Parts: sequence; structure tokens; C-alpha cells
Amino acid sequence: MRNYTPLVTLLLIYAVMIAIGQGIQGMWQPIMLVIFYIAVGQALNIFLGMTGYVNFGYVALLGVGAYGMAVALGYYTDLGLIPALTLGFILAILLAFIVSMVVGGIALRLRGAYFAIATIGVNEGIKYLILGGKIWGGSSGIVLSGILRKAYGAETMRFLSTVFADAGLIVVAILSGVITMYILNSRLGYGLIALREDEDAAKVMGINVRRYKQIAFVISCILAGLIGATAWTLKLTYVFPQDVFAINYTVEAIVIVMLGGAGTLLGPVVGGLIYALLKYYLTIAFPGMQLLILAPLLIIVILLFPEGVVGYLAKAARGTRFEKFVR
Amino acid sequence: MLLKLEEVTKRFGGLVAVNSVSLEIDEGEKVGIVGPNGSGKTTLYNVISGVYAPDGGRIFFEGKEITNLPAHERTKLGIARTFQVPRPFGSATVRENVAIGAMFGRANAGVDEALEMADRYLEMVGIYELREKEAKLLTPLEKKLMELARALAMKPKLLLLDELLAGMNPQDINRILDLINKVKEEENIATIAMVEHLMHAITKFAERVVVMHQGSKLIEGPTMEVLNHPKVVEVYLGEKLKIG
Repeated sequence: MRNYTPLVTLLLIYAVMIAIGQGIQGMWQPIMLVIFYIAVGQALNIFLGMTGYVNFGYVALLGVGAYGMAVALGYYTDLGLIPALTLGFILAILLAFIVSMVVGGIALRLRGAYFAIATIGVNEGIKYLILGGKIWGGSSGIVLSGILRKAYGAETMRFLSTVFADAGLIVVAILSGVITMYILNSRLGYGLIALREDEDAAKVMGINVRRYKQIAFVISCILAGLIGATAWTLKLTYVFPQDVFAINYTVEAIVIVMLGGAGTLLGPVVGGLIYALLKYYLTIAFPGMQLLILAPLLIIVILLFPEGVVGYLAKAARGTRFEKFVR
Repeated sequence: MLLKLEEVTKRFGGLVAVNSVSLEIDEGEKVGIVGPNGSGKTTLYNVISGVYAPDGGRIFFEGKEITNLPAHERTKLGIARTFQVPRPFGSATVRENVAIGAMFGRANAGVDEALEMADRYLEMVGIYELREKEAKLLTPLEKKLMELARALAMKPKLLLLDELLAGMNPQDINRILDLINKVKEEENIATIAMVEHLMHAITKFAERVVVMHQGSKLIEGPTMEVLNHPKVVEVYLGEKLKIG
């Protein structure tokens, strides 16, 4: 039967995180870092976790989303604050939609590893298109702080880059979770699981695998675009191509999904928590050495839980009264 | 006429796996396809279900040409199959596997309805108690039963069984044959069963038999007549030794 109760667990985790961030001095920034990584994992999970396909161009979608917001706020400042912001979200969604339709339409004809290889170029391609074509400021990017301060005042700008950006990211993160839960309970989810397990058998079972992969890909990419628009453009108030098209975010997102449990609702949350907290505190404790310590720790977790922490917990909870709350 | 193949050919490089085969299946008919290993039976199934496009010939389903229709659209029209080597969706439960059939087959059921249908068909094939198990943990026999339930849950008009009975004990074979006959009567499903060696089972099931040999249709006709035909005996046992 359809089961939405894992959402209770999800919302509870967010409530606890927000309470810690607001209640304890100095905890808000680490909590927002955690939520950023959860969001990034959750959005990727909708494609990677459900279809088993690896999207190596993932960060490009965060990048175009970031540019969508930056273009609206930077070039259409005169529209006024609310219309410009609205336009920013629309552009972020639209750019992510266009890129994902084009990339998916072409690359999703390829299977497995070939798809992954085809998507590697996407990120670099868009980055050098902006750099070389001097589009949207080229290598000097779009710097919003001055523009926003002049147009809307320092107070509004501070509100935008703190409260509004953080709230926006939290909304996108939770929205990604809710969408994941909906998909898991829908025909789309069953179709995606089938094609992840055996694409040829899925076709014979009547599943239009090309279409289903494309739907999952586009949803995942649009959410990524919204993360870029909130967590990067609004929060940092600048966009540089070298920053937003950095492939390490793609790799981090893949690690988070695998760590927590691919194709589960709570996987990216647990994966994001483990990854972000380890990274944050290792950086403080062993500056410069953090990655050297982080990598073996991650390998140990993955060896202990090959199906991810949540994949393991969901199995362990089977038959107990917690079963309904873990997925 | 439910299914009609017109001189269908499928080649793999220089190998002609199916060579100009014509075949007609009526609604609700029970047909057996027999033939030794490598005679082109599985390729024929793959061409009918849309895994491969044929290199020549045409295929019709209910009078409509489906030669170039993708597999998933043929399934929607009412073609369902099982696989010789079962292909479960491993990490999904048995129940979810069968529900996927009900959702995306001709039945086109919603999620809740599909899960209920899954329970019903699992009960029918006798593995209801395994429904919460991950499909990859089933034994080969249980996987075959699950595939049968999955195919039936699709509510097909044409059911293609690929060596479903191979490896089962006589008791199971009888039970499954009774089951297929019962479902067939109730839902008027045309069934094609393919077997390599279980001639005994085919006599209990099929009204008509098609014999494949080296990619071609060797002979077809009423079951007993065909199985006792000298040509068929020759294909399976070789030519009679001529002395003197």
C-alpha cells in the first residue's frame, strides 16, 4: 500500500536540525552546510538512485540555476524586487529544464557507463561556453551585492542573502524529499525501479523506459537548478563560472547518495549529515588534512553498508513497528 | 485472428535465427512450439514481443501491423511473456514485481489496484506467502512462478511462456498446467508455450503444435499427429539407420 509515513521521519529530522541551528550559538552555518548537502543529494537521488544512471554533469544544473537567478537579479533589477526574484526562479527552472531536455534527449539513448561518460562533457561545455562566449559577464561573472544594495537597500540585501536564501534552500530540500516520496509511491517510481533492475525486462513489461528516465532526469535537474539559485546566487550574491561549474560537487553528491542509500527517501538526508558533518569538523580539527582522513572513513561506511545506511536500516526495521517510518 | 506472422526473418550477422516463419494464432488458442536447442524458438519470441525488430516479414496483432512497434507498446496491446532464465526486478519485493506487471501491462492498473491484483495472482500461482520477500532471494522455481503471476497480472490476450515448465517436478507441472488452463478458460487468453523436451506436458496442454528446426517451421498441426510425424522424430532422434 502507499506509505507516506517516512515523511514524518524526514520532517522530524529537519525540525531537529533547525532547532539546533537556531538554539545553539554558532550552529546555524554548519546546519545550513548540512542542508545544502542533503538537498544536493536528494535532488540527484531522484535520478541516480531511482534509475541507477550516473549523471556526471550534475553540477552544471546547479550552475545554470545559479545563473538564472543571477541574470534576473543583475540585469532585470528595475522590475522591482518581487518580480525580479520571481523571474529568477522561473529562469533557474527554465534553464535547468532546457539543459536537461537537451542532454537527456541525447545522452539517455546511451546505456549505463556510456551515459555517464557522455555527461562528463556537459559541465565543462557550458562553463567554457560562458567563459569563451563572454556570456553573462564571462569570466568576471555576475556580482550582485552592489547592484542589490543600490536598488533595494542594504537591509533588504542582507535579508535576501541570509534569511531568504536559507529558507529558500530548506524549502527546496524538503520539496525534493516530498517529491521523492511521491515518486516512490507512484507508477513512475515502480517503473523506475523496474528499469533500474533490468532495463530490457522493463521494456517487455510495458514500461516506456526512455520516457521514464527522461522524466526522472528532468525533475532531478530542475531541483538542482533551484538549489543553485538559492544556495549559491542568493546566499553568496555572486556567480563565477569557475565556482559554479566545479565538478567536485557532482562527486560529493554521488558519494552522499551512495553513503545514505540510493533510491531511498532518507538516504540523502543521512548521507548528507554524515558527509557534511565529517567534512566540516575534520576541516576544523585537521586543517589541510581533512580529505585524507575523510576518504578512508567514507570507504569504511560504504564497506559496512553496501546498500547505504538507510538501505541497511530499512531492512533491519522490516517486521518491527519502525518499518513504516524508514524508507 | 489474434497474432499473425508473415514470413518473419531475423538474422544475427550470417546466422539466420528465424527464417521466413509464418504463423497464425487465434484468440484463446493453446499452441505449443517445440524444437531442439538452437532451433530459433526464443528468437521467435523476442521478435513477437518486440525485443528485436525482424529483418524481414510483417507481424500483425488483432489485424493491426505491429512490425515496428516498440516492445512496451506491444505489451499495452496485450502481449505478455515469461523468460527462459527468469528476470525478476531483484531489489523489489515479489509483490511489487507482480504489481509492476499489472501497472504497465494491458491491465494498466493504478498503484493500489495493482498491488491488490498482485496478491490475487500470487495466491493463484501458490507463492502468496513469499510476497514480501526480495525477488532476488527466490529459488529458480519460485522466480518462474513469480514471472507467471507477473505475466498473468498484465491481463494479456496473448501469453508467451518460455520453457516455463523446465526444471519443475511432475507434480508442479500438472499444477501449473491446470492453472494455465483455468486462467485461459476464464480470461480467454491465447497461450503459446515453448518447450524443448517436455513432450508429455505439451500433449496435455496444446491443441496445436508447431515444430521449429534450424530457424524454420518444420511442420505444424494437431498435437498428437505432429509429435508422431516421422520428420519430427527425425529432428529429435536423427534419421533411421538404414541397414543393407
